[in-house]
Amino acid sequence: MNGKALIQALNGVYEWVDKRLHVTDLFNHTAGHPIPKSSASWFYVFGSATLLCFMIQLLTGCLLALVYVPSAAEAYTTLEYLTFRQELGWFLRATHYWGSNFMVGIMLIHVTQVFLFGAYKYPREITWMSGVVLMLLTLGLAFTGQVMRFDEDAYWGLGIGAAIAGRSPMIGQQVVNFMLGGPIIASETLSRFFTLHVFVLPGSVLALVALHLRMVLTKGINEYPKPGQIVRKETYDKEYATIIKKEGIPFFPHGIWKDLVAASIVIGGILFCVLMFGPKGPLGEPNPTQIDTVPRPDFFFLWIFAIAALMPDYMETFMLLVAPPIIIGLLFILPFINNTGEKSWRRRPIAVLSVILIYLALGLLTYLGQTSPWSPDMKAWSGAETPREFVEGRSPLELQGLAVLQNKQCRNCHAIDGIGGHRGPDLADVGTRLTKDQLVRQIIQGGGNMPAYGKNLSPYETDALVAYMVSLHPKGELPARDSTIPATPAPLSVQEGEQHEAVGAH
Amino acid sequence: MKIAALSLACLSAIALSGCDIPGRPKKEDRRPEPHHVTDFKTLYSQNCAGCHGNGQSVGPVIAMNDPLYLSILPKEQMRQIVTNGRAENGMPAFALSNGGSLTNEQIGIIVDNIYAWAKNPPPTNAPAYSAPLGDVARGAAVFAANCASCHGADGQGLKDKAGSVVNPAYLGLVSDQYLRTITIAGRNDLGCPDFASRVPGKAMTSEEISDVVAWLASHRENEFGQKLAPAQQ
Ligand code: HEC
Ligand code: HEC
Ligand code: HEC
Repeated sequence: MNGKALIQALNGVYEWVDKRLHVTDLFNHTAGHPIPKSSASWFYVFGSATLLCFMIQLLTGCLLALVYVPSAAEAYTTLEYLTFRQELGWFLRATHYWGSNFMVGIMLIHVTQVFLFGAYKYPREITWMSGVVLMLLTLGLAFTGQVMRFDEDAYWGLGIGAAIAGRSPMIGQQVVNFMLGGPIIASETLSRFFTLHVFVLPGSVLALVALHLRMVLTKGINEYPKPGQIVRKETYDKEYATIIKKEGIPFFPHGIWKDLVAASIVIGGILFCVLMFGPKGPLGEPNPTQIDTVPRPDFFFLWIFAIAALMPDYMETFMLLVAPPIIIGLLFILPFINNTGEKSWRRRPIAVLSVILIYLALGLLTYLGQTSPWSPDMKAWSGAETPREFVEGRSPLELQGLAVLQNKQCRNCHAIDGIGGHRGPDLADVGTRLTKDQLVRQIIQGGGNMPAYGKNLSPYETDALVAYMVSLHPKGELPARDSTIPATPAPLSVQEGEQHEAVGAH
Repeated sequence: MKIAALSLACLSAIALSGCDIPGRPKKEDRRPEPHHVTDFKTLYSQNCAGCHGNGQSVGPVIAMNDPLYLSILPKEQMRQIVTNGRAENGMPAFALSNGGSLTNEQIGIIVDNIYAWAKNPPPTNAPAYSAPLGDVARGAAVFAANCASCHGADGQGLKDKAGSVVNPAYLGLVSDQYLRTITIAGRNDLGCPDFASRVPGKAMTSEEISDVVAWLASHRENEFGQKLAPAQQ
């Protein structure tokens, strides 16, 4: 009797509360909303997994902000403190770092899945568009987050970012000033990126996630597409309503368990990486004169840097300034380009093909960014040795030429037989490629991505340098000859033409 | 689900227990600030090996592990050279106070350990490291006797033996001191013998060395191709 009375009393309280707060209603419209049975699929867990990562980022981010000081003078020290002194500080940093990697990765899978399943089509256009903005915001968070480390990688990342921004026609310098808070990377830069990273971007993400989820609730989750089931504006809403009526199940508790399993896998994965690989950096302090490693941005930006490092000048501007807005614009208006029709990827070969192509291109560029030497080796001038065969048998003047090559820091960009920087071509056989005059011209006038040394070399230094470089050819192979001498092989005269062009273009 | 929860619990237990976790940064992982590097090998290979070789490799300029060379150059003088450099002659100044990248302490570590390379007992009859230039005319005779067999009668070099030591561009880049250093210590790594072994059984005297360096220096030219009066030391 007592038990019954208690339940009745509790029920009364619940009803009282529900009448005022509409909890049941809220539940039915959110966690309990019906989804098509086919959508309770493993393919549909990536959205919630991305959101989970974001929650982890919010939590760890708040904890990090307790210690981190966003000033150029102290950022580095506080990170060192977190990493090496504070109990479990490294764990926090590592979780935030890996959480961001997982978030970007899972988000990309989510976008791909939504694209392949045609979920952006009628009537979910706004869901898709808010998703595109969320994707950009997430990448923005990742980039600004990397700047928070404020170490060499961050410095180079920013430097190249600024260089890209500086290419904008007319307003280049203003854009750079706006981005960095001045012409150079300094304390103001860090404050700006801190504000973006902890206030502006997360706030915008929260707002857009709300919209994104609201759309998911009001327009319903996409049914698992079947080949041959065509989306038509006139009939789709009715068809969807039928599906829900016939085989709808409440998201909670029937649809959610897969998301929960996925969530624990994601958390497990993050923890695994945290424990195995730890936090990233901080590398050395960001002092441009003391870089003795080859810094690289975090992996999801490597492809951009590969473009910056590998493209010829004239293509670079297009690839970095024109192509991204076009691609993003296309993504954004995709639901209007392709609003109805087949949803299943089995009947959309072009969609599948473009996904494959995009991922291949990104993968290749990332690989190139990982392996390509896009910054000079700042210690090569005093540290890079020269293999014996490129020293022995040289005259005293040629030996001095090699000393000048070291002293003028040519080695930072140019390797000899693989040793040294790789920004410019290896010089091991430059004597077979260029004649004396061409060498002089290259050194004095520069060209391509090489600075002009005209004013920084005395005539003797130039003589010695050129004498040494002329001596750089494999045994038995003849040095390059002047193209005015009839016996010159054809490729050389072509090269001379190119050389002129390179100088002129600069 | 249970398995996932269990492994989660295990992982976090490991994380908190503080035992040997690969991901936890160790003290050694900490990147030393450049000014805190005190390891000679690192210091030498980053700052000197490119030009002076590392003992095994050959550099464009005299090797630092030549015992004879180390026996004639007083340690304090080497410290001066590394600190101040010879800006005119391509040897950079390394001290922070001179725009270089090394602290005085680091320079001390480099110099001390370079001298630890000199294992053989120094020759007792070695000429002084520095001395004023000698007499040009006598120097010509000394050159003919000691150097011409490889560098040619006029110093312009002999094919398959050795190159020109009177090329104005070469002489315009190196200092008189460097010429004297080479004349005493040679370039063992490249086949230029030292002062005692050019003519078998007859080591060069300090005066002969001053004379031949004066003769070499007398081939310097100004930018119009005119001979310069030899600089007095
Ligand atoms: C900032 C990096 C950098 C520095 C420093 C640099 N170079 Fe270059 N160099 C390059 C690049 C990049 C190229 C390719 C130029 C092009 O794109 O046409 C190049 C090309 C050359 C070439 C032509 C090579 C060929 O095979 O066509 C020579 C010779 C050369 N550099 C010599 C020098 C010398 C000598 C110095 C020092 C006085 C020097 N470089 C310093 C980046 C550099
Ligand atoms: C960029 C090339 C370069 C680097 C790096 C360099 N040197 Fe030198 N060094 C030279 C040249 C060139 C000379 C010869 C200068 C001259 O003509 O007097 C020289 C001369 C010297 C001499 C005097 C030789 C003599 O005449 O007796 C000493 C000692 C020396 N270097 C030590 C060092 C040490 C130690 C380091 C590393 C901390 C170093 N150098 C790094 C180029 C270099
Ligand atoms: C056994 C042959 C031989 C003799 C004798 C000889 N040299 Fe050399 N010398 C060389 C070789 C080999 C080199 C390395 C450079 C080259 O191949 O041209 C060299 C290089 C030099 C250099 C340039 C070193 C540098 O680091 O810039 C000078 C200066 C020099 N010799 C002076 C002399 C003088 C002075 C004499 C006589 C007192 C002399 N040499 C005698 C073979 C010789």
